[in-house]
Amino acid sequence: MPDASSRRTATALVLGLVDTVPHGRRRLALSVLLAALASGASVALMGVAAWLLSRAAEHPPVLYLEAAAVGVRFFGIGRGVFRYAERLVGHDLALRMESALRLHAYDRLSRTTLLGRRRGDLLVRLVADVSAIQDVVVRVAIPFAAASLVMLGTSLILTIFSPAAAAVLLGTAVLAGWVLPWLSQVASRTADAATVPERGRLAAVADELAHAATDIVMAGVQPAQLARFDAIDARLRGAERRAALSRGVATAGQLVAAGIAVTASLLIGGQAVAAGRLLARDLAVLVLTPLALHEVFASFTQSAQVLTRARAALTRVREVLDAPPVGRGDQPLDGERSASGVLAVRDLTAGWPGAEPVVRNLSLRVGPGERLALVGPSGIGKTTVAATVMGLIPAVSGEITAPGGIAYLAQDAHIFATSVAENLRIGRRDATDEQVVDALARAGLDLEPGRVVGEQGATLSGGEARRVALARVLVGLETGYRAVILDEPTEHLDHDTAATLMADLWRALGDEPVPVLVITHDPEVMAQCTAVETLGPPAP
Amino acid sequence: MAAPIDRRLLRRGRATRNVLVALAVVGVASSALIIGQARLLSDAASHVFSTHRTDGVLGWAGLLALVFLGRAALAWLSEVLAHRAAAEVKSRLRHDLLAARLARPQNPDVPTGTLVTLVTQGLDDLDGYYSKYLPQLLLAATVPLIIAVTIATQDLESAVIIVITLPLIPVFMALIGWSTETQVRRRFTVATRLANHFADLVTGLSTLQVFGRARAQLTGLRRTEDAHRRETMTTLRITFLSSFALELIATISVALVAVSVGFRVVFSQIDLRTALFVLILAPEAYLPVRQVGVHFHDAADGMAAAEAAFSIIEDAERHVSPGTGELPDDTTITFDGVTHRYPGAERDALAPLTLTVAPGEIVALAGLSGGGKSTALAIAAGLLRPTGGRVLVGGHPLDTLNPGQWKTAIAWVGQLPGMIHGTIAENTALGSPDASAADIAAALRDAGALTLDPHRPVGDDAEGLSAGERRRVGVARALLRLRSGGARLLILDEPTAGLDSDAEATVLEAVRASGVGALVVSHRPAVLAMVDRIQHVGAVAQDA
Repeated sequence: MPDASSRRTATALVLGLVDTVPHGRRRLALSVLLAALASGASVALMGVAAWLLSRAAEHPPVLYLEAAAVGVRFFGIGRGVFRYAERLVGHDLALRMESALRLHAYDRLSRTTLLGRRRGDLLVRLVADVSAIQDVVVRVAIPFAAASLVMLGTSLILTIFSPAAAAVLLGTAVLAGWVLPWLSQVASRTADAATVPERGRLAAVADELAHAATDIVMAGVQPAQLARFDAIDARLRGAERRAALSRGVATAGQLVAAGIAVTASLLIGGQAVAAGRLLARDLAVLVLTPLALHEVFASFTQSAQVLTRARAALTRVREVLDAPPVGRGDQPLDGERSASGVLAVRDLTAGWPGAEPVVRNLSLRVGPGERLALVGPSGIGKTTVAATVMGLIPAVSGEITAPGGIAYLAQDAHIFATSVAENLRIGRRDATDEQVVDALARAGLDLEPGRVVGEQGATLSGGEARRVALARVLVGLETGYRAVILDEPTEHLDHDTAATLMADLWRALGDEPVPVLVITHDPEVMAQCTAVETLGPPAP
Repeated sequence: MAAPIDRRLLRRGRATRNVLVALAVVGVASSALIIGQARLLSDAASHVFSTHRTDGVLGWAGLLALVFLGRAALAWLSEVLAHRAAAEVKSRLRHDLLAARLARPQNPDVPTGTLVTLVTQGLDDLDGYYSKYLPQLLLAATVPLIIAVTIATQDLESAVIIVITLPLIPVFMALIGWSTETQVRRRFTVATRLANHFADLVTGLSTLQVFGRARAQLTGLRRTEDAHRRETMTTLRITFLSSFALELIATISVALVAVSVGFRVVFSQIDLRTALFVLILAPEAYLPVRQVGVHFHDAADGMAAAEAAFSIIEDAERHVSPGTGELPDDTTITFDGVTHRYPGAERDALAPLTLTVAPGEIVALAGLSGGGKSTALAIAAGLLRPTGGRVLVGGHPLDTLNPGQWKTAIAWVGQLPGMIHGTIAENTALGSPDASAADIAAALRDAGALTLDPHRPVGDDAEGLSAGERRRVGVARALLRLRSGGARLLILDEPTAGLDSDAEATVLEAVRASGVGALVVSHRPAVLAMVDRIQHVGAVAQDA
């Protein structure tokens, strides 16, 4: 992707988000100000202390030093206090922006139909990518803005003593605080770009070896496979080594810049004192302040590299946000209804918008209580047909009549990390407790409705998860949905589990005189249906 | 800051030890340069202050420039060294982690996703540990001491302030850490749970859409997000306290030194040259300790990653079968009251099982789903070790035999055969390196995979192959092993539902032809018609 545009999209995203947060700009300004005060306090501490010592060396009455001593103590305490306040304000802003981005991303995603699209990785990545906004705010935007204020302020104040020394200081500060971090960011971006494909390959091989571990071990080919992994690892190491070299150069460069500032101040200030243009007691201020100022930039090369990764992440988020919506997201539950209770499709041509149709001229009719098996080789787009019949994506042409909402049992139906009852109520929000208990029983589940099922339904076995999804469909049927689509109901289950599940499923659905459309390639399931319709490869 | 360096990291990476020594040397050299820099600056400034002349300043400035160049070179060196150590340790751990998976391919404690994430991203957290935390730790151990001693030679009173306040930093950080630890941990759990809510919703979005409920979740999500932020901020207010203590003590001590030195300069108890020297050095004594605090989170992430890696690696090392015995000629396999219970489980996954499969015999395992049939197959293959009873091969306990030899004597067909990156032919010939193209084609044909092109590439995670096609390649793989004469036992597990392949029957014909034994789990009538005995597995044990 082009760098300039990725920079623009990421920046636009960040700026836009600041404005979504209540008082966003004020919060940002406050945290920058507090950060500048914190860094400024450490610079001022050194400067005022240097003046205090030099003034003291002129042996004035102690009274004359009190103000400076109070200043030194104030800056000594202020630095910690300002930093603490800045971190709280900054993190609060960053968290608010992250929340806003999550809500925005969810809003966009919920408007685009996701059923049957292989976007699992993208969604998981999006969840991680969104948090990059925090790094951008806390580790990049605020520190760099604050440091710029401090370098300008410090240089301005030093102009009073020596404009030339102040100019050198500003120059080296820009070098150490902006130019070098930027260069290191460019270098690390190039290096990162080189490591990305190697990283991808490494992940792919690790994934492959881990998945095929049993077969590799049983075939006795571990050494060869591990060697293949090590070879890729070695290439990745090479690419990373080049990145580390450039990082080291930037850090060294910052020290050189500090050296230039200090040495130049000593030479310029010394000349000025000798020429009588500068009070001798101000020389130490001129020489020691740059030392403290340059310390502020110490972590900046790392921050710049954080920016590289965060920007890539935010660009990916932006791609998701900007993608035009496909279909309509939610199933419309208020569409046209057939009074006869028949689910019918006539001359349907279906496919994803903008892509070749997956089926042409399909006609089906499923009466109440009938079970029609829709079969065909995998990958032919049977789920696309289901999405079209449910009205999630528009049909290219043809007619669909449904007796009402269609309950859909997916092979990979998601079990949410909440109670079993709440998982069922996704089928119908207003289902009563009795309806929930009843549906669980009919789905052959002996689960407490209040039991919280873990992340990804991890505390449930594959068969149990499928049954929770079935109970969700049953709750829906009882309270509103008037047709059912089963999408590969036995996929990924072992033979016994599949057989008992199907038996329970037919028994439970037997209570409901609704049309059932079964997408499957399991011959045993086909045999249990009243009719079979075979989808061939789409006609050209 | 407990346990700053994990001894296991030292043991695994020789580079780590060398780098620690090198970094310590760099640390000492840096402190020498910092002291030199303070000396040069204070000498030059006090000279100009008292004489109002610039003679000699050029020399001081030149030396100063050299000192900064030296510090720059050392900083570069330290980054490169740290990176080298990180890279070496990461490579080593990556290799060991995958080797650990191959040593225990069916370890249920480590899901594949967890392992892959750890190998690819998790270990990268060690970068922060090596490149930021470890160098700072070494500097923190050397620099403050050297600087405090140097200041003591010049001005004892300032040295006393530093020596008293410096240890306060870790003490206060630890005190704050202890007193808030449980609170922070509890809040952190809440915050994590709330954060996962978004991931959960996004993953389940298509399920929500199907029921027309996706849009409606936005309100709930907004509420959770607000709660999430408030919880996180409460946690942060506490966690930031320890870094607040650190910053406060460090800067306030420098201020104390400056003011105390300042007032003594007025009364000529100390000269300006010494005073400036002390002022320049004082912050340097605190800097490395402060940086350790700043990078402590990098270290914690890195240590957590290393910890996760070590527990997997060491676990696998503990489970390595110690056997070295040669495989006997008689490969009759006997289960003698074999049971298995997964760690932490309440019940045995496999109830006591006794059976014998002699060469030439085909035995089927039957029983309820979840009754331990697949567990029994894994134990027979030596992939799992029984937690009770014993397994004998030709009368020898299985765990006294060379585990590699036994595994390569088995033709294995798992439920969903694993595929490696390569062609169909390469996957079929996995474990049969001498198979000719004709042998491979014949095996594929007999496994019912006539339509599969042997040259067709198989992508990552068997991309491009349906479950049924994978199954057929797995069967062809076993056929090849049996026909080449290398395999002395077939182990075949039933496929998932929905596959209409009767290729399994072919492989049993090959078993009959070669006279080896077979242990199978299947529901297919064509397979069950060919078995000699059916052994029930699970609660309702029956006679064989």
